[in-house]
Amino acid sequence: MPDAAPAAAAPPVAAPPLSRRGLERLDLLLLSAEALDLNGGEAMVWMSEQMGFTGLFANRVELWKRRCHNPLRRATRRGELNPAETDALIRILCALADRLYPLLRALLSGAEPEAVRQQRWQLFEGRLSELVRERMNPRRVGVQTLLDPQRGARQRQQLILALAYGAGTGGYERLRASLHDPVV
Amino acid sequence: MILWFSRMKHTLRYNQVSCRLQVEGLPDVSIGQGGEALGIITGWSLRWSGRPELEGRRDHLLALMAVVLPYARHLISGVARPFGGGELPVRIAPREPAGHRLELRSSQPETAPLTLELDDAELADLVRVLDQLRLDPRLQLKLDLPAPQPLHPREVLERVPMRRRLVAPLGGALALALAAGVGLLLPEPRPRQSPAADEPAGSALPTDSAAPTAPGQPAQQGEP
Repeated sequence: MPDAAPAAAAPPVAAPPLSRRGLERLDLLLLSAEALDLNGGEAMVWMSEQMGFTGLFANRVELWKRRCHNPLRRATRRGELNPAETDALIRILCALADRLYPLLRALLSGAEPEAVRQQRWQLFEGRLSELVRERMNPRRVGVQTLLDPQRGARQRQQLILALAYGAGTGGYERLRASLHDPVV
Repeated sequence: MILWFSRMKHTLRYNQVSCRLQVEGLPDVSIGQGGEALGIITGWSLRWSGRPELEGRRDHLLALMAVVLPYARHLISGVARPFGGGELPVRIAPREPAGHRLELRSSQPETAPLTLELDDAELADLVRVLDQLRLDPRLQLKLDLPAPQPLHPREVLERVPMRRRLVAPLGGALALALAAGVGLLLPEPRPRQSPAADEPAGSALPTDSAAPTAPGQPAQQGEP
């Protein structure tokens, strides 16, 4: 029985801490999940408690402090997060994406009428822009690009794609590997 | 005997909006499996709404997982490149201007390969049913799928289109060539006459025994 267990279910090997770039992407993905769900902030805290991460993030302030390691934040924090904390944040993100999968799918589906699809994208982009303006440093080029209607379109679409392909338990390893991509 | 096999046979089903995966098999009693375990895959089918149904053997299903899951992993990093083909009966590649092309080659020699064109949502559905299958505790089969890894730096570089990657080095080379061209057009400065050569003979200033030389000309010594 143990030798027949699926290889894919094996626990991932220990990885180095997430780079600043990885932390930036992780926070932007969490922000996108918030943009898709008006109650996203609350859902994140609730999900953290449900998944047993209260030891790592005792309350919403602790969760917010970890997210502030994103260098694009207005009040950014120095230093790096330990791998247990980043893994917990990635698991929360995958669980949120799994919950939001019908919305993600509707944004990506080519079968939807184009007008409806455009309207959905406008809603998402408008909400994401509000959150970015509220929390990110507008002097950073990365923030300006993300807010730009033309130049930021590909990046916003990439955030939705990453959430769709990284949703659920199966998406955790893919998303985690992607956040550890080297910075060149 | 047939009745015994039919009683042992299990079917695993995974549903998403656009597709439905059904895997049939038996527990591998030779290694002590029983109950709901599925250790031997006898067949599978993948039904798409409005498209032909895919069927195959165990190897085809494993090839589908080995190709689609790494492809999705690369898409998360923004790298869209083909996977599969060659010896594998499955190939997936990005499609212009958007979407993905999944090709399945039949093991029958005279059957043409089947091509499915998927949009991002349909691919995400396929990834989800394959994830559900590989993480299902009832499937007790060694899948030998490599764990997703961070990309190689070269792959990260290639994410940027070639034209954009070449802008900086080509711009630099062009600027250098322009600067060199302008420099060549400028006239060469004439050699400056030394002040001593302009002065009349019998100058009050003391002079060395050797005659002064103009800059750029070797001193003439020991001439006959």
